[in-house]
Amino acid sequence: MSRFWLLMISLVPLLGATRTIVQAISISLCACLLTGLHQALMAPLRRHLAQGASLWASAVLTATLVTCLYLGLRAWALPLADELALYPLLLALPCLACEQLLPHAHRYHQLCRGLGGLLLASLALGICRQVLADNLDLHIATLAPGALILLGLLLGLYNHLRPSTTSPSRQGSR
Amino acid sequence: MSARWRSAACLSLLALLAVVTTLAWQRFTAKPIAQAQRQWHEQQWLTVLPPGSYDNQPLQTALALADTSLRHSRLLAAYRATLAGAPTAILLHNRFQGYGGAIEMVIAINTQGRLVGMRVLEQQESPGLGDQLADPARQWLDQFIGRAQENTPEQAWAIKRDQGAFDQLAGATVTSRAVIAAIQDALRYFDDHRPALLGEARP
Repeated sequence: MSRFWLLMISLVPLLGATRTIVQAISISLCACLLTGLHQALMAPLRRHLAQGASLWASAVLTATLVTCLYLGLRAWALPLADELALYPLLLALPCLACEQLLPHAHRYHQLCRGLGGLLLASLALGICRQVLADNLDLHIATLAPGALILLGLLLGLYNHLRPSTTSPSRQGSR
Repeated sequence: MSARWRSAACLSLLALLAVVTTLAWQRFTAKPIAQAQRQWHEQQWLTVLPPGSYDNQPLQTALALADTSLRHSRLLAAYRATLAGAPTAILLHNRFQGYGGAIEMVIAINTQGRLVGMRVLEQQESPGLGDQLADPARQWLDQFIGRAQENTPEQAWAIKRDQGAFDQLAGATVTSRAVIAAIQDALRYFDDHRPALLGEARP
C-alpha cells in the first residue's frame, strides 16, 4: 500500500474544500473526527458481525455520522458550511475505504499516520492556495484544477526532500 | 447458523439505532438551522444598505407588488427600509437570465431614485469570468452606485461596446448586459411605482 493511500481516497474533498486556510483546517478536522469516530464505533461491532454484515454496518454507521456532522455544521457554523458546500458529505468515502483498506496489524498506528498526513497536506494546500490567490493574484489557485497541480507539486517536493525508504539492494542493479 | 442470526440481529439493531439517532439529531438541529439561515440571509441582504441608514427590520414585511414581470427580469419581492418612521430606501429582489442560468440580485434604491447598493444572491455564471460579479473584491457593481434614470439617459444603460456608459466584466459580455438591463428594470419599476413603494399613496 502506498504511503499516500489516505490522501488518495480523500482527494475530492481535499481539492474541493481547501480554498482558504480556514476551510482547509475545518475539512481536515472533519475528516479526522469522522474517521476516528467511525473506527471507534466499528471496533466493538466487528466481533459480533460476519464479514458481509460488517460492510453493511460500516455503511450505515458512515451515513449516520456524515448526516449528523453536516446538520451540525449547518446549525452552528452556517457561513463555513456554505463555503464547504457538499464536500463534508463526500468524507463518507474515505471513511468507508478506511474500514476496508486498513490492515489488521498496527491498525490504529496506520490510521493516525494517515490522518496526520492528511491534516498536514490539507494545511499546506490551504496556505499555498490562499497565498497564491491573495498575494500573487493567481486565479487558478482558487479553482480545483489549480489545487490538483499544486498538490502534485507539493507531493513532488515532499518526495524530493524525503529520501526513499526503499533500500538500494531492492532497486535492482544495472 | 446461530452466528449468522446473531449477525443479522446485530445489524438490524444497528440500523434501527442509526435511523433513530439521525431523526433525533435532525429534530434537535432544526431550530438552530432555521435561525442561522434567517440570520445569514438578513446579513447578506442588508449589506446593500449603508449602515445607520435604517432602524427597522426591512425583511420582516414584504410590500405588495403591482406588477412582477418587468422587461428583462422578474420582481420577486420588495421591502422598505425606514429611519425614524420615514422611508430611506427600497430593496428590490429580482431574478433574470444570465449566461449560465438565473441570477438573483437585491438592488437598493433610495428615495431620490438613486442606486445605493447591489448584491448578487444567486448565480451560476462561468467560473473565473462571469462569477466575478458576485466577488465583492472586484467592485464591478460599484460603478452603478449613485446612478438614476434622471442622471443617465436611456441609451447610456449599456456596456461601452454597445455605445453605453458602463465598463463590462472582462470575458463576460452576456452577464454584463443582463445585469445592466436588470438594474435599469429595477429603476424603471421604482420610478413608475414610487408612491406605492414609499407608502405615500393612501388608498
